[in-house]
Amino acid sequence: MAAALIVSGVAVRLRTRGYEAPSGRTLVVLGAWQWGVVRHAASRIAAPDGEASPSLPTAGDLDVAGFIDGWLSRMEGRVVRDFGRFLAYLEHVAPLGCGLMSRFTHLSASDQDRVLASLETSRSDLLRAGFEGLKALVFMGYYRDPRTWRVLGYDGPFVGRPAGGWW
Amino acid sequence: MSGAIVRGRDLDPASLAIDVDAVVVGTGAGGSVALRELARAGLDVVAFEEGAHLTSRDFDQREDHMLAQLYQDAGGRATEDMAIRVLQGRGVGGSTVHNTNLCKRPADEILELWARSYGVAGAGPGDMRPSFEAIERDLSVSEIDPAMRNANNDVLRAGCDALGWRGGPLKHNRVGCVQSGFCELGCAYDAKQNALKVVLPQAMQAGARIYSDVEIVSVVRDGVRVAGVRGIVRAADGSRRGSVEVRARVVVLAASAVGSAALARRSGLPDPYARLGRGLRLHPGAIVAGRFDREIAGWRGIPQSYECTEHLSHEPGSDKRVWIVPAFAHPIGAAATIPGFGGAHMAAMRGYKNLAVLTAMVHDETSGEVGLGPDERPLMRYAMLESDRRQLARGLVACARLLFAAGATRVTIPAVPPIHLSNAAELEALDLSAVRPHAVPLTAVHPMGTMPMGEDPKASVVRSTGEHHQVRGLFVADGSLFPTSLGGPPQIGIYGFALHLSPRMVERARGG
Repeated sequence: MAAALIVSGVAVRLRTRGYEAPSGRTLVVLGAWQWGVVRHAASRIAAPDGEASPSLPTAGDLDVAGFIDGWLSRMEGRVVRDFGRFLAYLEHVAPLGCGLMSRFTHLSASDQDRVLASLETSRSDLLRAGFEGLKALVFMGYYRDPRTWRVLGYDGPFVGRPAGGWW
Repeated sequence: MSGAIVRGRDLDPASLAIDVDAVVVGTGAGGSVALRELARAGLDVVAFEEGAHLTSRDFDQREDHMLAQLYQDAGGRATEDMAIRVLQGRGVGGSTVHNTNLCKRPADEILELWARSYGVAGAGPGDMRPSFEAIERDLSVSEIDPAMRNANNDVLRAGCDALGWRGGPLKHNRVGCVQSGFCELGCAYDAKQNALKVVLPQAMQAGARIYSDVEIVSVVRDGVRVAGVRGIVRAADGSRRGSVEVRARVVVLAASAVGSAALARRSGLPDPYARLGRGLRLHPGAIVAGRFDREIAGWRGIPQSYECTEHLSHEPGSDKRVWIVPAFAHPIGAAATIPGFGGAHMAAMRGYKNLAVLTAMVHDETSGEVGLGPDERPLMRYAMLESDRRQLARGLVACARLLFAAGATRVTIPAVPPIHLSNAAELEALDLSAVRPHAVPLTAVHPMGTMPMGEDPKASVVRSTGEHHQVRGLFVADGSLFPTSLGGPPQIGIYGFALHLSPRMVERARGG
């Protein structure tokens, strides 16, 4: 598995062009390609269920990828480096394991779900840990917003609570 | 004379070079007491804290804000293999700022074991009782009124009652609690009677000075005597803005079992018998969630006020080494733990308010290690013993039984793949080999044991007085001291041992 991560690291050195940089924001830690991978992954990890109303914000609405970029700036260099390697694996290698000959960011939503599910249930402890780390960051970026709390029935902090409640 | 807290980020000039009688590294349970006792003895003493100085006005009850400010590595600290998330405090007051206020003395059996098998002298139950009693008075420790027990805790009580299992109320250090339920994010109401609220102000009243935002990077020696410390002053963004050099006759390490051991290693302290950093215990735990037909809203109210001790014995060699308490999380923590992702995950999150959550924490025998990474940051290695893994599995099964006995309609163990159960009978057929690190998300909040005390220098790092075997004047006053795990919350043990050991620190600082 370590070899696969190294291969993905090599791949990413060769294939980091053609990614759209975020408009209107300067990335702190992530590169444009990493930001793109996180953005796509976040949209699937925090995808709504069938009962979600149109007013429920998406991961894109909440700029979850931007939030993660800022969060990583507080983390140890070792953690950031490992996270970057995991993103490279997710983008370039994990789809191959699912028989998909394309980058993660170029896949359909359902194929992206397949790739993420393969990491969640991977036999590799390292890859599962990487997925869980990504998932934790995505949900931190998503469920920090009071607009998502209605889904949970969570009434939120007392400190700073608006007169009419958070939602 | 009255001391003060100086924020390193505001220090002007940005560097500091001072001579004092004693210096304390870390301001949590152990560091605060050591600082107070040294100051009360009339000594010139300072403490350094690598994190920020936050107060109740800063605690806004938001996970995304407070995790980053109150926890090491923004809550992302983990063992090297990423199998166990290790939540540790950062900032003035240390982990006493974010803990859930549980107050239990170390069991007599544990103290007796340390005396009998680990060569710890003068710290038996009778020796320690005055220190524990004094600390409990300082912190206004009392049993939680059953009327203040929230629904999640009442599920545990109901489960214990239904199964006839041993359980009971817990004691806490809180006064004026409004039961907001945000203890782990700092108390916005100043109800926690902790290091930040009680002990450090007492230390400052006695003349102690505290510097936040200062990371101590090395302990300085002069031959076999400690000579002081060196550190880095950090700006608010974490960048280096100055340096600290302190000369002192006494240095007290109280930066946690992880931080103190890492600092000792970075400083190249003598370690002739390769004991330093080894013996790491964590109390690793995992959760089980039960869904109920009624609303639980476990985020409301005091998080942990009841315990189940049916599967916990502190007798040496016991096969009962699991402590069970409630463990409800706010949305971000809950979302990270609930299995799956996407639409199925959101569907599960819709049941959030009907969930009750328990945790099984292992009174562990595994001996891990705190080392240093290539960047000189602490690196924790912890390969769980099979005997501890079995205890964990037993604990999760016990949690599931408790939840069903209390009326849960469905129980989930968040493993890979998730284990969903519809009734207690299904537990009989459960394959418990699936309960193992990496397959079950593990969390630890009680690192201990990395610089254990004892009279034998071949088996311990510091003497029973807390003083280093090879370095005169260097003391340890945190969970590093404990030769084994406690099988319960450590804060009273840490506060109490710091108080118990403080007379020797005072004597040394006076030149004795």
